[in-house]
Amino acid sequence: MKTPAPETFEGQILALLPSLRRYSRSLTRSDADGEDLLQDCVEKVLTRRGQWRGLNLRGWVLTIMTNLYRNGRRGKARDGLVELDAAVELAAPDVPADPQERARLDDALNSLSEEHRAVLMLVVIEGYTYSEVAAALDIPIGTVMSRLSRARQRVAERLKADNIITLRRPK
Amino acid sequence: MNDTNPSVTEADLHAYADGQLPETARARIEAFLADNPDEAAMVAEWQAQNSGIRSLFAGYEKTKETDALLVSPPRAVSSAPKRAAIAAAALLVFALGAVSGHYAPALFEKPELQLAASETLPKQAETAFMVYAAEVRHPVEVFANEEAHLATWLGKRLAIENLKIPNLQALGFKLVGGRLLPVDGRPGAMFMYENQAGERLTVLVGRNKENRTTSFRFASSDNLETFYWIDGELGYAVTGEISRDMLRQVAEECYRQFPS
Repeated sequence: MKTPAPETFEGQILALLPSLRRYSRSLTRSDADGEDLLQDCVEKVLTRRGQWRGLNLRGWVLTIMTNLYRNGRRGKARDGLVELDAAVELAAPDVPADPQERARLDDALNSLSEEHRAVLMLVVIEGYTYSEVAAALDIPIGTVMSRLSRARQRVAERLKADNIITLRRPK
Repeated sequence: MNDTNPSVTEADLHAYADGQLPETARARIEAFLADNPDEAAMVAEWQAQNSGIRSLFAGYEKTKETDALLVSPPRAVSSAPKRAAIAAAALLVFALGAVSGHYAPALFEKPELQLAASETLPKQAETAFMVYAAEVRHPVEVFANEEAHLATWLGKRLAIENLKIPNLQALGFKLVGGRLLPVDGRPGAMFMYENQAGERLTVLVGRNKENRTTSFRFASSDNLETFYWIDGELGYAVTGEISRDMLRQVAEECYRQFPS
């Protein structure tokens, strides 16, 4: 398979793939679901390339992926979860790499609705401002804020629920 | 929090936790948090969530070997099938020259592309047999242990619903596996079988809109025998270095088992 030239549309998408992979995995509950979402997104992006206005390709693709996730993945079978594997090796200075805490956080995130998770991940993983999230999801900024608030509250509750391990707080 | 300080909203605290505030606003929130330990604990919790989430998924920001394939799905690439067709055509000409010398003059008189499918099919089948049946370790792409997958995959590429791979056990031939290959410049399927003596035969299937239904036909070059027929848009060819009688039985069995 020939690698597309960097200046072509395919080449630009190819360059975005690593960060798109991270975002798709942050939305989904397993590695396999993450790869599926990524593939569905790339397929859609390639067929809709004519609709791209030539600005902010990354933002355009992220919106397509988020919408695919919100619209298409609801009601998908929730069994067969695969544990996080790729993230285990990475250095994380602020957060203890305790696998149990990671698993608890993963579990807490998996308890979020698609709508709440998408807002949280756009802010946290993609570094979107609240108004960018509002524009990307086509929702009022007040809705962005209430979803973000609920998502964080829910994650905090799940993490505290059995009160065995909580995330260490930075001083 | 709005009760204790109306000028600081929860939205401000989120923006602070997410690093979305300008410097002056940050200082104002920090002063507020210094006096409000509950809110400070909440903001710290959110920040811990943020770094936990980033750390959880950071490892996924990586390339994979298959990334280039991802941006070039088969149907989005128009040049690949063409290249394959060109290669197949070149291979065909080469094989004809090498093996079936008596076809060569006809080829030069009449351009290959003008041959009707019923004429090109047996030659493509012979070429495929010669190229692949001789392979010891890699005769097929997908082996018989994944027969269901093979049928689904090639059925999809050929647009044949419920493609059934013929079972030739009764004639002493077991499925080795199959592969995708160009037939008339389009995706085609080849299935390979082997008997206990190690003799192989191949079954080629190709779709061509210009196909015209034919009866069974027979082609022979050197020791290689091919039976072929066209049924609607689908062309079939059975090729092997086995007796013509055995090959005819195989062809009839395939004809029976392939859906019409």
